[in-house]
Amino acid sequence: MKRLILLCACVLIPSQALTWSYPVGSTDIGVNGYLEGLGVYALDNDTAKEDPSALLSLTAKADFATWGAFKLTLKGDYDGKIHDPSHDRVFAPIEKVYRDNTPALTLDEAYLDLFTGKADLRIGLQKFAWGRLDEFNPTDNLNTEDMTDPVLREESERKQGALAVKADIYTDIINCELAWIPRYLPYRLPMPDERWFPPVLKVPDAIETNSVFGSVPVTATYADIDLPAFTLDNSEAGVRLSRSIAGCELSVSYFNGYDNMPVIAVPTELVVELTDPAALKTSIQGNLTAKPQLKRMQVYGLDFSTTLGGFTIRGEGAYFKDKYYVRTAESIYPEIITTKLQQELMEEFLNTFYATGQTRQSFHLDPAVAIKKDALKYGLGIDYVRGDATISAQIIEERVLDYDDDKPIYFIKGGYDTMLSLAYKQFFLQNTLELNLGGAYDYTFHHYLFQPSAVYGFTDAIRATLGVVIIAGKDPNSLLGQFRDNDEVFVKLRYSF
Amino acid sequence: MKKRLLFGVLGMFTAVCLWPSPGVCAEALSAYQIVKKSEALMDQAKDSKNEMLMTLIDKRGNKRERKLLSYAKNYPDGSKKALIIFEAPADVKGTSFLVWSNEKKDDQQWLYLPALQRVRQVTSSSKGDSFMGSEFSFYDMGTRNLDKNTYKLLKEEAVDGQACYVIESIPNEAEFYGKVVTWIRKENFVPAKMQFYDTKGAFLKEGTMTKIISIKGINTPTHIEMKNAQNGRATILDLSNIQYDSGLSDDIFTQRYMQRGR
Repeated sequence: MKRLILLCACVLIPSQALTWSYPVGSTDIGVNGYLEGLGVYALDNDTAKEDPSALLSLTAKADFATWGAFKLTLKGDYDGKIHDPSHDRVFAPIEKVYRDNTPALTLDEAYLDLFTGKADLRIGLQKFAWGRLDEFNPTDNLNTEDMTDPVLREESERKQGALAVKADIYTDIINCELAWIPRYLPYRLPMPDERWFPPVLKVPDAIETNSVFGSVPVTATYADIDLPAFTLDNSEAGVRLSRSIAGCELSVSYFNGYDNMPVIAVPTELVVELTDPAALKTSIQGNLTAKPQLKRMQVYGLDFSTTLGGFTIRGEGAYFKDKYYVRTAESIYPEIITTKLQQELMEEFLNTFYATGQTRQSFHLDPAVAIKKDALKYGLGIDYVRGDATISAQIIEERVLDYDDDKPIYFIKGGYDTMLSLAYKQFFLQNTLELNLGGAYDYTFHHYLFQPSAVYGFTDAIRATLGVVIIAGKDPNSLLGQFRDNDEVFVKLRYSF
Repeated sequence: MKKRLLFGVLGMFTAVCLWPSPGVCAEALSAYQIVKKSEALMDQAKDSKNEMLMTLIDKRGNKRERKLLSYAKNYPDGSKKALIIFEAPADVKGTSFLVWSNEKKDDQQWLYLPALQRVRQVTSSSKGDSFMGSEFSFYDMGTRNLDKNTYKLLKEEAVDGQACYVIESIPNEAEFYGKVVTWIRKENFVPAKMQFYDTKGAFLKEGTMTKIISIKGINTPTHIEMKNAQNGRATILDLSNIQYDSGLSDDIFTQRYMQRGR
């Protein structure tokens, strides 16, 4: 009932958009935001369901002097994807990867701007926007993302504020953006029972050893991340230099910090127990703890945009040094739980039993799930506008250098993953009706995502979206294929003020 | 020689505000000379700033409003820069559009969407498209070469009791309009009415400019209506807080200004 009330609130609020401004001394604080309701109907019966969600976003901004301004965005949400919510805290835990409290408040951005003639300084929780491609920006690694709904949430909504100091320096020759993030805040993953928890990160029910141990049943624990100590060495930094040359806008960038894609360690306890001493019959149980790890990397980036005839061309690429990838589960355990190891463990267990009479023994394994590689990510986009229609097409590719076929990693095949995306937007009725046909095709895995939607503006303040998400793929180890059972219909209602 | 399009969005929001002062004698002038003289007088202000209320009206009479801030500046080399910032409705607040026009090159245009926090370079070849759902086109926002049109003085005719020259303008190479007919007031050279025809020769839309006020000696229409005959829709622009030659800084016409909104 509470959820229904939240959704209805989105509809019942007066349809006329308001502008709020509050004078504080000689400064006007402008307040705006939106209230949004989201309903999702899962089309596949055997996937996690999602209750209606509601989100209130409030932004306060003020120019308090010619040399300064501030912005604060606070979001309060009821997240229908969380199945068994806790209510132990009001604010979402920004130091955690997993969040189970809802409703909750989140500080999305909170920063102070200081302006001078040739340089600007921004201090606080903020979002960066490096690169020029849509949704996929190899050079943009300063912000972490909320991955609890990777499809319906747009890039700007997925991005989480970084605690940072940013300096923009403007010269006649080049513009320089310097960023320093003294304290890393982690990405957010859905809870393991949530609809968009990445299946590739899900611990399997059993480990197939095909040998002495046979199929080992597994219990899983999902631990949260340990943040690095608050030291200078653990801070992140980046620099981006930009300039325009003959109508072509160019940027080069460098980033040294943590990889924002999840890397999971899986420390494993193999518990051997003698169930029938007379017959020396044993049972084996695996206890796995999936724990997110932070890995540092360096990224050297380049991006550009220009116009050519009626087209806008955008490109972006980056070289990743020391990037960690997650190996496929099925390739790890046969490698470490070899027949020889199993025989040795069983021999040790029996020796201990004979020596001490102990009928239960644990063996600790720490499989190398993450593998360090250098990689390239690059893409090219093209936009074309004709009348009330816009078409954007992109090709993006990830290439892992020195790829080892014997150690396969998720989302990559033969060292490559190539994705094509297409976004078509058509306005009707003086921009009150918007039709979107968005899709992506993974050329490497032959998987695709299709996401048509229609947006109707009842007024300037109230817009409704109705859409479908269809994902098809056979390989569960691909980026799209892992979500192949997550087809859904969604309806979204937003009131902006 | 370039001519700011009479009924452009930026042209309307800014250039129209730079229309010639009254009392200019146009006797014995040809159509080309009238337009050329208008253009010269039009550009007498170095810069302009104003607020705009854009009202979009659909064919059923339903209205939607957009509030905008407009800045424009002319440079000695003939180039022009203009910036439009959306103030309302709430879901587009902070969106801005920057145009650099230079007669020797294609226009350079950038769009800033606050949600993305990115300034995006956009192509200048989509100028025939509607600007934010209005009956004004992106093409109307830029500049066009006066010499790439052929002008003909059709007749003299009164509009709302004011004597006007009726001038036909036909582009040598039809792009978005096949023909434009302009009624220019004889008294002050401010256009009273314009009729646009598409490239097939069919009547497309008509604009009227009224509520003229004098600011720093420049006659400025503050109420502009554009009615599209083909789709039944209309757009009304109401200009306010118009300022000329206020010494706008070059820093306004930059991506930096778009991003920080000040």
